[in-house]
Amino acid sequence: MNLYVLSLGFGLITASILAIASVGFTLQFGVTNILNLAYGDVMTGCAFVAYLVTRAGGSLPEALIAGAGTGALASYGLNRFVYTPFVKRGTRMFGMIIVTISVSLAVQNGLQAAFKATFFSLALPRPSSYTFAGMIFTSQQLVIIGLAVVAMLFVHALLSWTKLGRAMRATAADPELARSCGIATDRVIDAAWLLSGALCGTAGVALALNVTSFTSTAGGQFLIPIIAAAVLGGVGHPYGAMIGAVVIGISAELSAAVISPSYKEVIAFLILIVVLLIRPQGIFAEVATQKEVVA
Amino acid sequence: MSSSMQFYISNLLVYLGVDVMACLGLNLQFGVAGVINLAFIVFQAAGAYTAAVLTLGPQSSLGGFQSYIMGSHLPFPLPLIAAAVVGGALSYVVGLIVLRRLRTDYQAMVFLVISLIATTVVTNAAGLFNGSNGLALIPKPLESVLNLSTVNYQWVFVGMTFVCTILVWVVVRRITGSPLGRTLRAVRDNDAAAASLGKNVTQMRLIAFVSGGAIAGLSGGILAQYISAWSPGSWLFPESFVYFSAVIVGGAGNNMGAVVGAALVPVAFLEATRYIPQFGYPGLVDALQWVVVGLLTLAVMWFRPRGVFPERTKRFARTPESEPTS
Amino acid sequence: MTSEPLLSVRGLAKSFGGVQAVRDVSFDVAAGSITGLIGPNGAGKSSVLAIVSGFLAPTSGTVHFEGKLVSGRSAFQLARLGLVRTFQLSSEFERLSVIENLLVAAPGQRGERLRDALAGKWRWQNQEDASVARARELLARFEIPAKEDDLAGDLSGGQKRLLELARALMAEPKLLLLDEPMAGVNPALIRRIEAHLLSLRDEGLTMLMVEHELGVVERLCDPVVVMAQGQVLSSGTMAELRKNEEVLDAYLSG
Repeated sequence: MNLYVLSLGFGLITASILAIASVGFTLQFGVTNILNLAYGDVMTGCAFVAYLVTRAGGSLPEALIAGAGTGALASYGLNRFVYTPFVKRGTRMFGMIIVTISVSLAVQNGLQAAFKATFFSLALPRPSSYTFAGMIFTSQQLVIIGLAVVAMLFVHALLSWTKLGRAMRATAADPELARSCGIATDRVIDAAWLLSGALCGTAGVALALNVTSFTSTAGGQFLIPIIAAAVLGGVGHPYGAMIGAVVIGISAELSAAVISPSYKEVIAFLILIVVLLIRPQGIFAEVATQKEVVA
Repeated sequence: MSSSMQFYISNLLVYLGVDVMACLGLNLQFGVAGVINLAFIVFQAAGAYTAAVLTLGPQSSLGGFQSYIMGSHLPFPLPLIAAAVVGGALSYVVGLIVLRRLRTDYQAMVFLVISLIATTVVTNAAGLFNGSNGLALIPKPLESVLNLSTVNYQWVFVGMTFVCTILVWVVVRRITGSPLGRTLRAVRDNDAAAASLGKNVTQMRLIAFVSGGAIAGLSGGILAQYISAWSPGSWLFPESFVYFSAVIVGGAGNNMGAVVGAALVPVAFLEATRYIPQFGYPGLVDALQWVVVGLLTLAVMWFRPRGVFPERTKRFARTPESEPTS
Repeated sequence: MTSEPLLSVRGLAKSFGGVQAVRDVSFDVAAGSITGLIGPNGAGKSSVLAIVSGFLAPTSGTVHFEGKLVSGRSAFQLARLGLVRTFQLSSEFERLSVIENLLVAAPGQRGERLRDALAGKWRWQNQEDASVARARELLARFEIPAKEDDLAGDLSGGQKRLLELARALMAEPKLLLLDEPMAGVNPALIRRIEAHLLSLRDEGLTMLMVEHELGVVERLCDPVVVMAQGQVLSSGTMAELRKNEEVLDAYLSG
């Protein structure tokens, strides 16, 4: 019984990291329809930035800001200088998949080339532990959960109450219509990539914080669970992604405890495949029609 | 020619043959039929494992240090035929599940995940194909029968590979040059329009997918028997991407393009980089290789997306039979 | 000459989520006619066309073609029975040449079977030659101003329309479903297409046309079925409908 409760605790942390990451991913995908398979590797890059910051003596908040900022700039840059030019040229969905995988390979191996294939840890002081209802959390992990909550509230507020948020939702639903309503979709898309990039970076730092050590493949390995959470909740629906993250995070940890640690990732894989084949629109969306990529 | 030179060239030729076959198969699935089979390498691996367990003999015969299913000593060419059949059968099963009307990027995702699941399962279920250590000491076809010197046997293997490559070429050409090939391309370009003209879209895709999968399996069987070993490290997801890159560079939708792509990317590029002195720390050159593959693919997608040999349409001669009668 | 209608739609209904797009639609298409299906935006015409052609499953109702029940069959099966549709947006096979586009449509090609393709040219070359001859005939008849080896994707909008019409005919349809064939077409080309459709009708081809351009409908269609808000309002000739109060209301408020 203890094992399950412990796993539940781990699940909550994984879910928190996943939530931050998948909300970012779903915003990107929802607004521009580009399946950015390099997302996980951008996360890794931000983790490395955080590592460098802490190595230079920075504190956790500084590392987080650095990571989020790098993520925002990297994602924005990736869209503006790589993806958008391809889309404007007429590259369609299946060409874009090859493009994003190429970027993913280049980034992941570039990081490996720069930092070697060894493992790294954020240079932060040892955190203290707290026990709560049978689950153990370190102070850092509590920070992660707190971050996730803050990020979700922020995204919720942005989407519901600001003009930008409404513009994003309109562009995600129907870009042509949004444009004809006078929405500057170009700027909305830029904003979406900046915001989702910041979330991506934050998630990357959180990921590095949570594992004892990470390497150049850490973010890439997280990509499938992120996509699974986003798809489960319905692509483009941030609230759905949050719920998807909780489901996947907890079931992954529980299955690791119940079945075997080596199959932890498989549960996310299976959920993704099943959802894509049976109900691709996820739990909350309507029909998943074939839309083209947007620039 | 010196012995080591002969080894080097024959080695290269075998890899060239295997990669040409694989690219022709992938071109059929992706270039002609439009299926983004990101799990391509899994089907090559299936063929490899099949050939391996059908030639290794029972586990105990080698001292039981590797565990795997089945185990027989089938003679050439049965293991290779089986490899192709398994590649095709596995494609059929996967195709039935995945090749419905799913949007392109989701379908690609499903294949990617299948590739990852396959790697995880085979690595962890040690009794299947000896887990992460993989299978070793796979016998080469007809080696004991022919009793040749190592160098001469190499050339025999090259000859065998060459024959298989020609066979695959003929099969692929016959498909793409026929009305079947044309209909596959039509289904790729606009499946709704194809359906409105009476084409069974799912069945068409399945035909291309299974054919490509059988070819992938054959290439895997040959490769496993050549290297005499096969493990999960040989078929991780990026390997599928190398083949995709090759098909795109050479020209997707064009068989000659697939051949050229195979010669350029897996063979020439990866071969050439073996001669770069290992600078930096060990592993740096390998990592940079992948960076270049990624950037190269991006560059080709930008500057020449149709590849070295773009897809061609068929021209029809003006013969008496094909001119309108009015 | 009273004969059974070629197409018979009864009680067709379709709802998407909570929205009832089509409710209790019934009409007939007589053999040898060009039947029009008109109505304001959102009337459900496209949904009806999609259901009849097998691209959408109805929530309820039946479709009979040549007296046989066909509702529930998929699009390609209906096409093989002779029910061919065209699309509102260009749907050419863009990486195939003009003539290849037509050749795809030829029904019953032996060369499409894997076993015959692998066996070699001799199994299907004769049939292919005959198809090429037919395709060239159609290209000449429709006077498509493009060379047969041009890539279909490079054609202009109007050329694509003609190509798709020729391609649909290549499939030897018994009933041709036209989804807004004149959408976005320039007036001169509209007249040409109208002439082609009329001559096709005179040769015995039956058509069901969804169209917005009322002038086109007036010149080509008899009878015309009017839909609004998912239901059939009325049917008859354009002249009759112009006098119908309900129809006028639907169009003004629609």
